Amino acid sequence: MNALERHRRLTTIWASEPGMRGWVSTVNHTDLGRMFLFTAFVFFVIGGLLAMLIRAQLATPHSAFAGPEIYNQIFTMHGTIMMFLFAIPSFEGLAIYLLPKILGTRDLAFPRLTAYGYWCYVFGGAMLLVSMLLGIAPDGGWFIYPPLSGAIHSPGINIDFWLIGITFVEISAIAAAVEITVSILKYRAPGMSLEKMPIFAWYALITALMILTGFPPLILESVLLELERAFGLPFFQAELGGDSLLWQHLFWLFGHPEVYIIFLPAAGVISTVLPVMCRTTLLGYGWIVAAAVALAFLSFGLWVHHMFTTGIPHMGLAFFSAASTLVAVPTGVQIFAWIGTMWKGRPELHLPMLHILGFFCTFVIGGLTGVMVAVVPFDWQAHDTAFITAHLHYVLFGGFVFPILAGVYYWLPHVTGQRRFFRLGELAFALVFLGFHVTFLAMHWVGLMGQRRRIPTYAPEDGWTAINLISSIGSFVLAIGLAMIVIDVVLHALIAARGKRNPWGAGTSEWAMMTPPPAYNFASLPHVDSRAPLAADPNLAVRLARGEGYLATPRKGWRETLSVDIATGRPEMHVIYPANTRLPVTMSAVTGLFFLSLLVKFYWTVPLALAGVVILAWKWVWGLGCKEDLGALRVREGVTLPNAATAERSPGWWGTLFLLTANATFFGSLLFGFAFLWTVAPGWPPPAWFAGSMVTAGVGCLGALLGPVAMRQAIRANRRGDTPLPGIVLVLIGALGVAIACTAMMLQTPAPMGHAYGATLLVLGGYGLFHAVLGVLMAVFLTARVLSGFTSPARWAEFPIVCLWIDYLSIVSLLILLAGHLPGLLS
Amino acid sequence: MKDLLRILIAPLVWLATFSAIYGLLGLICGHGIGGTVLGLSLPRVLLITAYALAILLQVALLAVLYHPRLASRSGFVRFVSRITGWVGLVATGYALFPATVSSVCL
Repeated sequence: MNALERHRRLTTIWASEPGMRGWVSTVNHTDLGRMFLFTAFVFFVIGGLLAMLIRAQLATPHSAFAGPEIYNQIFTMHGTIMMFLFAIPSFEGLAIYLLPKILGTRDLAFPRLTAYGYWCYVFGGAMLLVSMLLGIAPDGGWFIYPPLSGAIHSPGINIDFWLIGITFVEISAIAAAVEITVSILKYRAPGMSLEKMPIFAWYALITALMILTGFPPLILESVLLELERAFGLPFFQAELGGDSLLWQHLFWLFGHPEVYIIFLPAAGVISTVLPVMCRTTLLGYGWIVAAAVALAFLSFGLWVHHMFTTGIPHMGLAFFSAASTLVAVPTGVQIFAWIGTMWKGRPELHLPMLHILGFFCTFVIGGLTGVMVAVVPFDWQAHDTAFITAHLHYVLFGGFVFPILAGVYYWLPHVTGQRRFFRLGELAFALVFLGFHVTFLAMHWVGLMGQRRRIPTYAPEDGWTAINLISSIGSFVLAIGLAMIVIDVVLHALIAARGKRNPWGAGTSEWAMMTPPPAYNFASLPHVDSRAPLAADPNLAVRLARGEGYLATPRKGWRETLSVDIATGRPEMHVIYPANTRLPVTMSAVTGLFFLSLLVKFYWTVPLALAGVVILAWKWVWGLGCKEDLGALRVREGVTLPNAATAERSPGWWGTLFLLTANATFFGSLLFGFAFLWTVAPGWPPPAWFAGSMVTAGVGCLGALLGPVAMRQAIRANRRGDTPLPGIVLVLIGALGVAIACTAMMLQTPAPMGHAYGATLLVLGGYGLFHAVLGVLMAVFLTARVLSGFTSPARWAEFPIVCLWIDYLSIVSLLILLAGHLPGLLS
Repeated sequence: MKDLLRILIAPLVWLATFSAIYGLLGLICGHGIGGTVLGLSLPRVLLITAYALAILLQVALLAVLYHPRLASRSGFVRFVSRITGWVGLVATGYALFPATVSSVCL
């Protein structure tokens, strides 16, 4: 087969449907990455316009531009859009577009999940935009603190839009994080061991793990506050055993890592682009990986530094102040590694490099003001002033927007296959850089003079007029610069000239393909022996197109790829991907119906939507696998691999493992909330403890213990060639036992609306019941698969996946029963 | 996966011990735990003991990461995991040091 014929056959197999149909049915990572990035930048433009409105309002004292109600909505939506609808999704989009290409493979681990995540993001984001157009947008600031955001002080629907819309969008983030984690660990080119991974992949992996552990507290508190607002469960009401500080703890458990979730991918872009711009290799690869890991973990130990003014004991303040100063060290290691890279190379001032230099100036200032606010006495003075707003913009614009713009200009020739024609970008950079620093240096200054955050106006005698005007002028210069970048990119995409394949002379494998990239990425998969495979073998692209790699011959219309051993990159499994489908968009629409029903309190459609999700999820999983043993499949001359359906740890198992990691963080946050209220909240102990029943608790414990044992028995029976059905039936009985115990706990809990204790037990019981129902559904599904011939002694990948869920159910249900019954028994 | 765990374990343990000691402080202050043991303030003894245990745990982890039989076979993973091991130890010693000197519940 020659290269052209291979290209045609692979394109037939991998391409999205033509036209508009392709938009809704594509599961291809290149298309979805572009769609993610485009949508994220649309939100960036909207968020930017809102920023202009804020600066227009503050340009003069006693401004009548917008009333306080509308102004509150404007700054809330600005922060919300930039944090949740631009920054995180643009990382997801970049990672989705880029990762399979730099990892030397054909797609991400779960293509349909990518599409589902994208549509959840679009629908959730649209929900928030609609609220803004209707004038009922969230108006409590981007961190929506109760009691202001509680039903008493914010009775309208505005806050509900935030709580429900953001939770919907976060499904997308969790989906992308699972996808990215499994893809980086398992879907790399053969030979690509951990030490040969491109540095961007390390950053993306660490970021994805942070999303999996950082976002669940946000989702939890959104659920809790919505439950309080809709049903009166008083988690954050001090007079009923709740505590508004619980919100702050949970929010910043998410919110501080969020800053690094935004920064680390940008650092990945810097670490990838900078060496290319300097015609050298990255200095201190191992140190940078270690620094990124350290930064990720340290960032989870800083959350209280956003709460220095809440009356926490001095020792607590000192812990978090120390940790906050410590985080500057790994950041400094990276900065010095980048400076060293420039020192040893020959920097060339191409446009991406200009944005990297913009990053250095801006981010270092933001980091230094960060160290200032880590010092408690200074923070007490600067807290909630414009100084903090300026600091966070230096960190986020400097640490994310400049690097991402560097990335845009660096990879634009890859996305379009064209070279820049106009030179608008350089002037735009100058305006952005100048405009940004004028705007936010002034904001530092006015903050130190005492201007509070979020004020709609001020008096002339405050003495802030001239500085605010300068800041507003700077912001409009910044906006003009950003608008010029948009125009530059559009002109590039529409009318630029055809470019060469690797215009920067980069060494990473994304440039070892045609540009714009074909749907299948690589005609055959490379064997990687170096961190820069293209630099090691400049003829790599041609050799791969000729079919000199893995999986060079398309067969049976399958979308094929390989998965590898995590540490060594040794080829491990042959994987067949699902093809184009409208299932993800349909499922996200039905998921959206669920959230919309909650939002408008139209509760009779909630069970319908849930039933729809279950049916579609069933259809989703049913389409995987096959009814015959495929045996060992040839993937290259002399190399055969088993199919993923025969593996104990299939891609689905890995996906489940990381999804459960996020789930466990959610559950852990719930237990933390319970312990926090019990220990710190006023109004405890509650009027009555949950008495419980030893019978139902016993049924629950037995059910929890039976499930894992029975599941393992079913697996052993299946591997022996016997029927696994008796074991699966026992699993089902065990899950039903847990369901009964959790339901009893929910029904008998004392006055959930009267005290936070009862409310917490209700949620704990509901969490256990949800997982028990999930266990029942999985047992029924597995029975159907066994009866339909989808499993055999060789094809058993589905059993370990269900086993993971049943093990998880067992652990959480025992903990729930313990947490529910112990206080009552002790009392 | 074991290699990844070697890289992540020390900072993960730091995070767990850091949160646990902060939780212990909350418990001491929230429930008004007081009294003395051997003439020393009980809260201070509890916090310093927890601090010392956290450091010992990090030292033990570092020893494991340097142990020829337990360390990774990959030179790169050995290098990175030892750096993150030191990060865990230094972060524990530095960030939790206030347990020894700062006022407890003020």
